[in-house]
Amino acid sequence: MTFNESFNQISPSEFFYRNRDLAGFSNPTRSIYTSVRELVENSLDACDQNRILPNIYVTIQPTQQQKSDPKHYILTVDDNGPGIDHNHIPLAFGTVLYGSKFGLNQARGMFGLGATMAILYGQITTNKPVRVNSSIDGSNRHEYEILLDIQKNKPIIIKHSITSTKKKGLSISICLEGDYSKAGSKIRDYIYQTSLITPYASIKFHDPKGNKYNYERITKFIPSSPTIIKPHPYGIDVETLRRMISDTSYKISNVDNLMIARIKNELKMRGDVHNNYVVMKQTIKKRWPYLSSQTKTILSILLCLKLNFNQLVKIKIESIDIARNTLTYWNYEKSKSFVTQLNISSFYYKHLANEFKGDTLETFLTKQFQRVGRHTAEKFTEFAHFRPGKRIMLMTNQELVHLSDSLQKFSEFLSPDPSCLAPLGENLLEKGIAKFFNPDFVSVVQRKASAYSGFPFIVEMGVAYGGSIVNGIKLYRFANRIPLLYDESSDVVFKVINDIDWNRYKIKNESPLVIISHICSTRIPYKTVGKENVADRNEIERELKLALQFLSRKLSSYMSKKGKAAMEKKRVNLYFTYMPLIARFCTELSEKLKEPNYKKIFNELK
Amino acid sequence: MKYKENKNRILSDLLKKYGARIYNDLDNGIFPKFLIPSRSTRNIIYDKKLRQYVLGNNASMRNSKNILQLRSFTQLVWLAFFANRLIKEQKSSTLRDIYYSSQAFSIDFEDQPESDNIIVDLESVLSRPREDLHIFPEERSSVFGDLVIEYTVPGYEGKRTNLSDHPDGYLIGPSLSSAELIETSADLVIAIEKGGLFTRFIEEKVDKKFKSIIIDTAGQAPRSTRYLLRRLHDELKLPVVILTDGDVYGEHIAMVIKSGSANAAHLRELTVPDAKWLGVWASDIEKYKLPTIPMTESDIKRIHDLKKDPRYQHGIWKTELDVFLKIKRKAELEAFSKYGLTNITDKYLPQKLELAKSL
Ligand SMILES: Nc1ncnc2c1ncn2[C@@H]1O[C@H](COP(=O)(O)OP(=O)(O)OP(=O)(O)O)[C@@H](O)[C@H]1O
Ligand SMILES: [Mg+2]
Repeated sequence: MTFNESFNQISPSEFFYRNRDLAGFSNPTRSIYTSVRELVENSLDACDQNRILPNIYVTIQPTQQQKSDPKHYILTVDDNGPGIDHNHIPLAFGTVLYGSKFGLNQARGMFGLGATMAILYGQITTNKPVRVNSSIDGSNRHEYEILLDIQKNKPIIIKHSITSTKKKGLSISICLEGDYSKAGSKIRDYIYQTSLITPYASIKFHDPKGNKYNYERITKFIPSSPTIIKPHPYGIDVETLRRMISDTSYKISNVDNLMIARIKNELKMRGDVHNNYVVMKQTIKKRWPYLSSQTKTILSILLCLKLNFNQLVKIKIESIDIARNTLTYWNYEKSKSFVTQLNISSFYYKHLANEFKGDTLETFLTKQFQRVGRHTAEKFTEFAHFRPGKRIMLMTNQELVHLSDSLQKFSEFLSPDPSCLAPLGENLLEKGIAKFFNPDFVSVVQRKASAYSGFPFIVEMGVAYGGSIVNGIKLYRFANRIPLLYDESSDVVFKVINDIDWNRYKIKNESPLVIISHICSTRIPYKTVGKENVADRNEIERELKLALQFLSRKLSSYMSKKGKAAMEKKRVNLYFTYMPLIARFCTELSEKLKEPNYKKIFNELK
Repeated sequence: MKYKENKNRILSDLLKKYGARIYNDLDNGIFPKFLIPSRSTRNIIYDKKLRQYVLGNNASMRNSKNILQLRSFTQLVWLAFFANRLIKEQKSSTLRDIYYSSQAFSIDFEDQPESDNIIVDLESVLSRPREDLHIFPEERSSVFGDLVIEYTVPGYEGKRTNLSDHPDGYLIGPSLSSAELIETSADLVIAIEKGGLFTRFIEEKVDKKFKSIIIDTAGQAPRSTRYLLRRLHDELKLPVVILTDGDVYGEHIAMVIKSGSANAAHLRELTVPDAKWLGVWASDIEKYKLPTIPMTESDIKRIHDLKKDPRYQHGIWKTELDVFLKIKRKAELEAFSKYGLTNITDKYLPQKLELAKSL
């Protein structure tokens, strides 16, 4: 997903206005719906990640009952999740693109801006601060009121107090302009469908009109949580590749007290001796062969910059430019970055330079990508005409482009690892469907994992038929356990359902049928940031189709059985109609006086 | 014992027997069922000894337990029940009557073909023609000649009629079919395909000139007519000769009287194996210089069909068929009128009758 402008260059409000449509804040109706969604999804994500059975309580209250829509509402979402460390609260909710979910595992949140967009929207329309209450320990509760300084791009803390509590979790209240009379049905649908796809969650919703919607959990079983995994080569573009390469060389950036203690240990230095630069230099020289490579790197920087440990903690290395022999670092105290020219003849510079050439291509591939071993890496380098020993930091732009192209073209990579996905599972899905729709027939299927451009995905699908279901085919779409409510007709699932030849399965347009489709992926190919419809990717379309065909076959065999049962009933009725007639006719034919005791015969019919 | 009474008693007994079987099954909690001889083409075979088509040994089960057969089973039992009443009350009914009567007993036939079919089923089960069950088709043919019959139908019991009393002849209907054949002076039965010629024959006193009973088959002879022919032959020992148009259909009309049709393979007593086809033969067309009309496609196709029939593999049946196929022309009985209206009775008939003696 690319945004109009990166956050650093524009103010948050500008950012908001430029992206509001994409992010689902185009009008008061849509905005209040999107806000509910973003907050509920954050709560569910937080609970999932900590394997907590979610209790979520959503309220929407108007500030003035009398006024007509659109008007101001206070939206509150309260959860029993892990909460957020109070130091992070201003950052998490006062900064766009602050997110903890960039890792490659499946979560509802993706972009790190959902909550902030809602907060920004609220502030822009009502000029009221967001209230965030968080407890991470179940005893102290931090209560914040935060405004975003739109000019300076900084959170302004209006209020911060600590009270005591017995409950862990986060509660966030946003005052915003909304049109509940128009958005209400979508919000209710959203809550309803969310509890369907999250059967282990309890979700309560109190709407502005005083209506209460309670969805108790159906099961206490939380599906297994996804593992965080390395990327697959197929999903990688040049930009990502560049970032991964630079990431590999920044392992030295976090020099904290723990790290320093370790280094001192390796140097076998005691007390404050290390503050003496000369002594330290000698000790390092002496102990050099015995040091770990990480320690060697940190000490090389220390010596090149002529710093002691105390000074080292206060800076962060930003980059080392081997070509220009420069090192750029950020000084926390001075809040400024500095560029230093390095002495190329120094032993320690040479070490650093060598280190900063980075891993060999082969090592890089095996270490940074999932499911790439020595053997595959070798084959790949041969395929792409690279030396396996090629240092990645020394790659030219052109070479990087070639590398990323070749990664996409090489056909021998194993398919992506799906362990990072969190499908609901057939059992839970079926339970949810049975509970929600009370159908005569339900069948679910989870397809095996597949991948599109390097992103693994799993399709789960269920169909329910008859019972309390009203006539007409109804589709419920989910992606990463999020209900998708808007733009149904442009969604890939819709397309698949439309393409299938329902006649073959004896299904008509007016059949009482519900189809539930759930796509799980580390990267759902949404058409927009609003996360409302999934774009067609051949691989996804194929899996959806296979799932649907499988279920349709199940359904049609159920229907023909049902047809048989109806026939059976009709059959028995026929006996009741005809047997008395036969009895009557044969009585006269045989010149008997009374009819035979033919009723016995019905015992033979089950 | 008189023919009809005898017949009715046998049939009543048979119906009673079937009724009792069904009754006992029901009383014992068993789904009643019976075998119906199969009338599928595979089960229709030509019996050389009987000289007619008969049903083979294949039979299908009609089981009241089978939901697909329950309805037709009930219809069949109803028909037996209804026919039994007809026999007991000495009433007759037509195929169409049956179709409508069923409705009074909440047995509804979808259409008349369905009820007709059940009638054939019952015929097959009992091996008795529907006429015995007092069920008659609407089509009627006629008879004329010196033959005394005695009615058995209610109201006419014992009443006698001479079939030469009415110059238009007598309809071969239920009452005639069930009448006793008392006496005749005739030596011969002439069956003729066409009503027009039948009238001419009466006018020309063919009955007297040739000491014959004349029967108008009105095209393909209805069962009641074939049945009467059979009785005239069997009971009164009269030889039967047949006059038809000179075409393949005429030839087959004669054949059906002689040895039955595949449609009635489940029935005996409808054939007159000794009957002789007098003409008009294909070879007569040449011989008598008859005016002809060309055959149609369907005529020719029909010839090819009949050539496969085992009965057409020998004798005049085969030779005439071959001639028809060769000349591809046909002549009607009326064609003789070219040589005068009485030409057929004065010239053709005596010649052919003479010839028939050697057939
Ligand atoms: N209820 C909550 N409990 C705990 N942490 C939360 C909660 N809500 C938000 N967070 C944290 O705040 C971060 C920012 O949330 P935000 O909605 O802005 O982004 P996101 O969920 O990562 O991505 P998206 O833009 O797709 O929603 C989250 O990544 C998470 O770390
Ligand atoms: Mg979010």
